[in-house]
Amino acid sequence: MENNNQEISEKVATFRSHYGAMMFRRRYGEGCKLKPVPRSLSSSCGTAAFFYGSQWEEYIDENVEGVYEKAGDEWRKLYGEE
Amino acid sequence: MKVSKEKIGLAVTGIIVGLSAVILTIFGNPKNMGFCIACFVRDMAGAVKLHSAAVVQYMRPEVIGIVLGSFFLSLAKGEFKPRGGSSPFTRFILGFLVMIGALTFLGCPLRMVLRLAGGDLNALVGLFGFTCGIAVGCFFISKGFSLGRAYKQNKVEGIALPVVNVVFLVALVAFPSLLAFSESGPGSMHAPILLSLIIGLLVGGLAQRTRLCMAGGIRDIILLKDWTLALGSVMIFVVALIGNLVTGSFKLGFTGQPVAQTSHIWNFLGMLLVGLASVLLGGCPLRQLIMAGEGNTDSAVTVLGFFVGAAFAHNFKLVGNATETGPNVYGKSAVIIGIVIALLIAFFNSRIKEEK
Repeated sequence: MENNNQEISEKVATFRSHYGAMMFRRRYGEGCKLKPVPRSLSSSCGTAAFFYGSQWEEYIDENVEGVYEKAGDEWRKLYGEE
Repeated sequence: MKVSKEKIGLAVTGIIVGLSAVILTIFGNPKNMGFCIACFVRDMAGAVKLHSAAVVQYMRPEVIGIVLGSFFLSLAKGEFKPRGGSSPFTRFILGFLVMIGALTFLGCPLRMVLRLAGGDLNALVGLFGFTCGIAVGCFFISKGFSLGRAYKQNKVEGIALPVVNVVFLVALVAFPSLLAFSESGPGSMHAPILLSLIIGLLVGGLAQRTRLCMAGGIRDIILLKDWTLALGSVMIFVVALIGNLVTGSFKLGFTGQPVAQTSHIWNFLGMLLVGLASVLLGGCPLRQLIMAGEGNTDSAVTVLGFFVGAAFAHNFKLVGNATETGPNVYGKSAVIIGIVIALLIAFFNSRIKEEK
């Protein structure tokens, strides 16, 4: 999968629904894992998609709330409102 | 092995909730009812005279504390974000149904864990039902179930429910004559106001930080094979079990349990309804109070559904009769109709039809 060729750092996408996360994983393919949203990103208990590839923008749809990149112990926002 | 901060937080929260439940029981709350969001909201509905069941009327400071604990901590941490508009009336109905199911079983998921820790095996039947309900809800979630996205709301809307809880507290402390108080039965049994309030604030704050949720724990195991959230419930059980053994309150069996009924089928179906409706709502009754404290107005509407559901349950004598035999024919009908309504809500808000 092309996504694995450009591994930089771990990324996480958050969603408006669990179904949105499922669809994202389906579009992304291999190398994408669904887990609970990290507490540091949200006080809600939704589903997040974890991946390493850098080509994620093509998989964005209206269900994606935000995309973050691991920066040390924190998550840096790459995409999303606010 | 590196244990995540989230797991440690949930374990500590579970320990404190379990310990708090034992303490509240020692200081006057009904047995196996250190906490019960469903029972307590039902008592509060009685206190403000939405129903007139004389044995279950009391303004429970624990619930007020939980909402305000979540409110103050989310405010301090910059996580108070008024949001709403995700099918509020559907959520009201689901909240109503949660209460019908919970009052049939005689307890919310949190009390189910506490009852289990007290040796009440009826709660094991309830746990099976609760898990089945969550599994059914997970099926619909995996088929695209969603109540729609929430939108930013103004601050006044977000703080409305916390303010209502402050009003409740002022009424309890300064104007008790406005409220109804049970002279006998579970509503008459309560820990001192200040202790209940402080423990409520503590539990509300901790649950806000850790996202403690009885339904979410089982949902995450089913959907994501992740045990993190369930750790909180497991620790509540372990600590309450030890507490009950130490204080001599542990009594293993089905019969003679405090505020319980022994009808297996209705304990199972009651909690199935609670599990299904909770997972569609995105959290158990405790979690709804926490989210309402964070400014989630959809959860505030759900809490309103709890109040109205509790009032209906008693006014129409649907459920809530703590006899050994279980609910009457009206109560049984209410649970069946409730499950059907929850399934219809799940079906029509999923994408099953589109997939065909």
